[in-house]
Amino acid sequence: MVVLLVYLGTDLLAAWGLNLEFGVTGVVNFAYIVLVAAGAYFYSVFTLGSPAASGGFQEYILGMKLPVVVAIVASALICGVLGCLIGVTGLKRLRADYQAMVMLVISILATTIIGADTGLFDGNAGLSLVPNPLASINLATRGWYYVAMVAVVCVIGYLVLRRFTGGPIGRTLRAVREDEDAAVAVGKNIIGLRLVVQAVGGVYAGLSGALLVGVIGGWSPSSWEYVETLALLTAIIVGGLGNDGGVAIGTVIVPVLILQGVQFLPQIHSVPGLTEDLGWIILGLLTIAFVFLRPQGLIPEHRPRYGPRRRAGASAVAVAGGPAGVTLADAPVTVAGGPAPVVVSDRPAPADPDGNGSGPPRRHLAELVALRPAEAAGTANGPAGGAAAKPIITVTGMVKRYGGVHAVDGASFSIDAGRITGLIGPNGAGKSTALGLISGFLRLDGGQIEFNGRDISRLPAFRRARLGIVRTFQLPREFRALTTIENLLVAAPGQRAESLAGLVAGASLWRRDEAMLVERATGLLETFGMLHVQDERAGHLSGGQKRMLEVMRALMVSPRVLVLDEPMAGLSPALSERVEAACRELADGGLSILLVEHELRAVERLCERVVVMAQGKVISEGRMAELRTRKEVQDAYVIG
Amino acid sequence: MSVLIEAIGFGIALGAVIALGAVGFTVQFGISNVLNITYGALLTVAAYLGYYLLQLGWNVWVALAVTSVAMAVLSVIFNRLLLAPLSRRGTSFVGVVIVTVAAGIILQYCVVAVAGPDTVSYGQLSGSTVKFADLVFTTSQLIILAIAVVLMVALHMLLTRTQFGRAMRATSANPVVARGCGIDTDRVIDVTWLISGALCGAAGVALAISTVTFDFTLGPTFLIYMIAAAVLGGIGQPHGAMLGGMVVGVVSQVASAYSNPAYQDAYAFAVLILMLLIRPRGLFSAGTASARRLAG
Repeated sequence: MVVLLVYLGTDLLAAWGLNLEFGVTGVVNFAYIVLVAAGAYFYSVFTLGSPAASGGFQEYILGMKLPVVVAIVASALICGVLGCLIGVTGLKRLRADYQAMVMLVISILATTIIGADTGLFDGNAGLSLVPNPLASINLATRGWYYVAMVAVVCVIGYLVLRRFTGGPIGRTLRAVREDEDAAVAVGKNIIGLRLVVQAVGGVYAGLSGALLVGVIGGWSPSSWEYVETLALLTAIIVGGLGNDGGVAIGTVIVPVLILQGVQFLPQIHSVPGLTEDLGWIILGLLTIAFVFLRPQGLIPEHRPRYGPRRRAGASAVAVAGGPAGVTLADAPVTVAGGPAPVVVSDRPAPADPDGNGSGPPRRHLAELVALRPAEAAGTANGPAGGAAAKPIITVTGMVKRYGGVHAVDGASFSIDAGRITGLIGPNGAGKSTALGLISGFLRLDGGQIEFNGRDISRLPAFRRARLGIVRTFQLPREFRALTTIENLLVAAPGQRAESLAGLVAGASLWRRDEAMLVERATGLLETFGMLHVQDERAGHLSGGQKRMLEVMRALMVSPRVLVLDEPMAGLSPALSERVEAACRELADGGLSILLVEHELRAVERLCERVVVMAQGKVISEGRMAELRTRKEVQDAYVIG
Repeated sequence: MSVLIEAIGFGIALGAVIALGAVGFTVQFGISNVLNITYGALLTVAAYLGYYLLQLGWNVWVALAVTSVAMAVLSVIFNRLLLAPLSRRGTSFVGVVIVTVAAGIILQYCVVAVAGPDTVSYGQLSGSTVKFADLVFTTSQLIILAIAVVLMVALHMLLTRTQFGRAMRATSANPVVARGCGIDTDRVIDVTWLISGALCGAAGVALAISTVTFDFTLGPTFLIYMIAAAVLGGIGQPHGAMLGGMVVGVVSQVASAYSNPAYQDAYAFAVLILMLLIRPRGLFSAGTASARRLAG
């Protein structure tokens, strides 16, 4: 019984650690059991005396006879480092199943090497006589003290874990799981986040291993074959991916009840070990059954709600009028009870071409986006002038090759500060590639990109996003399992909740920041008429709503240069007008926008200066009306 | 010097067996785009099936052929029952891998439950040895080598020279579009699993012949050799898998001849990990659509 409870506790620690990696962050770590094993081995060699002292029947390194507490902490930390090392293999962006394969092979390789070698941890024979950390307590009661100790570690482990899986940081990690590129596009350092998660997961594995070996007293390669990782994964899948409480239930069911429980069954026939095999067979069947029938697990991942009870109409308006208090003054979002979910702004956008309309709505949207004052001030004289606009991004001689194809072949152009610059061209002109190069998603093969006079050609994409160069994707890439409003919240830059201080201090540090973000996000949702779906999972939104979400999420990053990749493609005229109106308001508020769009009439209405690309080169630029008359542009569109 | 030549000989013989399995693995992975870890357990099942047929007094090559047919059918059933429904549900790549690992464990422990955990052997196969220069091969090794080469060439021809092969490659590149073009993708996938299963059956028996004694862990260990060979040659390329099998076989035998043989597996595994991390599209070619996809 005592051993069973200790198994439960240590399996729980390991399952939580793996759930943080796989369930929450989406890191495929099929070699997790190696870390548990490392924890056990290191604890053993830290606490054991020198090999010779115990008669030399087993051979191992170190043998330091350290105090047990030091040994446990040291093994956990070493496993954290090892977790990072294993994480490095994930940096090569392989498809998930290949990553799984790499991890499986690493796991088997580790068993093979440790098993073959007699010098490190006594090879296949394994270590034995590992000291129990509570050796000083008398044998009769020691077991229960041990259980209590493991329980305390589990409780602390759970509380620490919640710091990662709950709150804004948990939301960010889940965003990484859902879509890495989209997470990068809103400025998340996914490599850093993943390494941190794998370090923390490693520490949990190490604790689990050290506490386990402390009670069973021995450890050998047969204790940590790769299938053990599957047992933990099954516990997570059964309990509920990404749900700490569900995983705890899964751990009770899978490794404990099934794998240990079968030992209490009567032995079948005279075949020894058959019942243990049965345990694994049940486990395999359970995994398959859950993947088929209930992939979300017993207790699905829960996402917080921000709105009141979701009833279309009046309630949504009530929220907006509440704490946020932001409404477009001349275009109130009247969801007024009716079934129609979306109401178009009653101010037809194109009817206000000179951008001299009344002030309030613009200021509101600019506030919501948190435009940086410097930019706003720089263009305070208004956009109508058309006089020399300062470039905010300058691209010179940009080159990108795919094999022998020059997708972008020495293109040079600039994006005006506080204006909407259009980028058009026939299909295959290199527009999307150019956009990928500017936002840092593709690596330059030549040329230079300057942002406010600073060379950013070599900055990784997430750093460019943090500088304020934020892109959207041509095909919307929402964080499917997060709610609509969470999709926005996650994008906010510089969240203190994501910092080390936020992790240590907890919610008291970031609660107010978070409230302000919710306010901003609610305002944006309202402006774009999507408040009624704020607590809907983004994966369930319609195509048009996802496209709007894409734009809103980019705005939430407080961009300085917004790079829009065909934001209006596939939108109904009504939604299209809403995006257009928003673009105009934002530009008036001082935001610089690069607009790639095939809808040339919208480009003509919005952009003062339009850059035309064809076959990887800039062939013309100027006002849309002029461009229409130019022969090279006509040729490109007709022939290209 | 003789150590080296001997090791190369062993390597080629082992390589032929690995190649046989790797060709089956690479075709199935390349066309149906499913990383099937259960392949290892299926190899074990094939080895035991062959063992029981031998117990009945069958000739080993007849047993190999019959096992091959049986595994081909089993393989199609496996896909139809388990993996095809998953892809219809849009289960993620990782989800599919977890299911194939789980299915492999179920099969492996079923084998233990039926056949027991002890090692078994096909016994010493009678037959003469043949000498090429300084390389010595048994006839059974040569037959396995011949089977591997013939099947590899036949598959390569099928994929590159026939209309059906074109349909298979189209299905690999984009099943939805292929269906839209009037290709019966379900049939293509069935045939793919049939071929892969047949090769798996042959490889399982061949493995049992070449390792002399084996137990229920036979398949999963050698699966890694086969995956290494398939990745080395570029996923979806039968000739690549063949060459990859030879490389893996020879390298692991030569390396273990000059160092601790306990590390023999470790070399093959390390080669695979390095390949996956450095050049996942394979050494010899640009690779297939699926090989290209996984790198980005």
